[in-house]
Amino acid sequence: MPEPPNIFMRLSNGAENIALVRQALSGVADQLELGAGVINDIRTAATEACNNVAVHAYSGGTGPLEVEIGCRARALEVVVRDHGTGIRPRIRGQSESALGIGLAIIQALARRVEFNDPPGGGTEVRMEFTARPRKGLDTGKVLRSAPREPPADGLSSTAVFAIAPSRLAQSVLPRVLTVLAAHAHFTTDRISDLVMIADALAAEAQGAGGNDELRVTARVASRRIELEVGPLPGGVARALVSAARGEDPANPIGRLTDEQRIDGAPNAREATLVLALAERA
Amino acid sequence: MAAVRTAPRQYPGQGSTGERALFGAWRAGDARAREVLVRRFMPLARALARRYDHASEPFDDLLQVAHVGLLKALDRFDPELGFPFQSFAIPTILGEVRRYFRDAGWSVHVSRSSQERALKLRTAQQQLASRWGRAPTVNELAQYLELDTEVIVEALQVVQAYEAASLDAPQPGAAEDPLQYADAMGRVDDRYELIELDATLVSVLGQIPARERSILRMRFVEDLTQTEIADRVGVSQMQVSRLLRQTLARLRALAEGPAET
Repeated sequence: MPEPPNIFMRLSNGAENIALVRQALSGVADQLELGAGVINDIRTAATEACNNVAVHAYSGGTGPLEVEIGCRARALEVVVRDHGTGIRPRIRGQSESALGIGLAIIQALARRVEFNDPPGGGTEVRMEFTARPRKGLDTGKVLRSAPREPPADGLSSTAVFAIAPSRLAQSVLPRVLTVLAAHAHFTTDRISDLVMIADALAAEAQGAGGNDELRVTARVASRRIELEVGPLPGGVARALVSAARGEDPANPIGRLTDEQRIDGAPNAREATLVLALAERA
Repeated sequence: MAAVRTAPRQYPGQGSTGERALFGAWRAGDARAREVLVRRFMPLARALARRYDHASEPFDDLLQVAHVGLLKALDRFDPELGFPFQSFAIPTILGEVRRYFRDAGWSVHVSRSSQERALKLRTAQQQLASRWGRAPTVNELAQYLELDTEVIVEALQVVQAYEAASLDAPQPGAAEDPLQYADAMGRVDDRYELIELDATLVSVLGQIPARERSILRMRFVEDLTQTEIADRVGVSQMQVSRLLRQTLARLRALAEGPAET
């Protein structure tokens, strides 16, 4: 049984989303203080695995691209998964193709590679890289479970992130949200606002103690991004409600968003905060 | 579950027709055979250079390193082992590229070029914002600077990072010390600002320098955009962004402080 990851991402397999994976890895490298050479290898190999999902997994169509990142004491584990038609039949007879080079690149850069059949079909590429973090994470602070499946509609513009511990979210969330803001044609003004929201969400998740993890589902449209934060423990949700009302100057969420609402009763044990930002320029 | 060690791997069906003959001819002293081999595998070196993560390095430099790797692979390859050349060449070329990225001088070189790029981004942001009367998008910056959008995203992380203080040098055309200007504004409007807020927060805000407080007020009370604030204060939008992030982080730390002790 593999150890649970620190980061889980469920994206659409569109090629533009691979930048989210690369930025998440860069965020991890920032937080763990990994060397630039090491993270270049990991980003390169992960890009190849994701490219394969973008191009081949759904025979030209769309489907989920799942990525997990596990920060271990002396290694970084990256899992790239699809639920398409499977990788192995595609390897055979395509050795000269781009796919052949992609796999060879992964094998040259990773310490260990596994190809698995995930439940429900598809392919899982599990890559392990030698990485010695100068600043490690607390062991055991990993994700309890993968986030629930989002509604299938609009998958191409929906990205799901689960990150633990929240210290990791501080460096990963601003980066991935910047990529999504670029997709949504936000100006640099609004991107900065979104980055401040990411800072605030990561801080709230940490401040509230509890499970020390952050789950964010982002729905991206042109000039509009909706963030669904949670499910959160009741205390965190209430803190965010007050933040959303602008009662706390240290937490600017309310002033930076165009809409805020809570899904679930305010006193419930778990609630979801929904925030919407539109580009104003 | 199939665990695969990262040893050179043979791909079935790989076209090695003529490859062994060429290696044989070259080993026998035919210099032209080597040239044919170099030409044949240069596209592979190019493909690897292109695919290696090069957000921080010009492609031409990387291509040169990949070509060095290809030449090394050609010299070291033993056709008698029966593997196609490509299965040996890919890890060898990548090995050369990785060595290049791990070179001690490289990280210094990269931090310098990423600083340069951050400065370019800051300037471009200001030029486009003053031309259009609104801040540019990432795509617009990418087109303007002829850079990949992901390079812009990366540069945005650098300029918005908390500790990019070296980017805060006064800019041409701005007041001599722009932040002194912000300071003055903060003092004038202090009372106005504090009235807006809950009394218990006044003490926390009191620990924030006046210039940061005034930027905070412009963004959150007056609801100015960062570009508008930058205009007023005479600094870049990126610097406003960074100051806001820093100040909010500080407020959070101050707000949490008493609860923890």
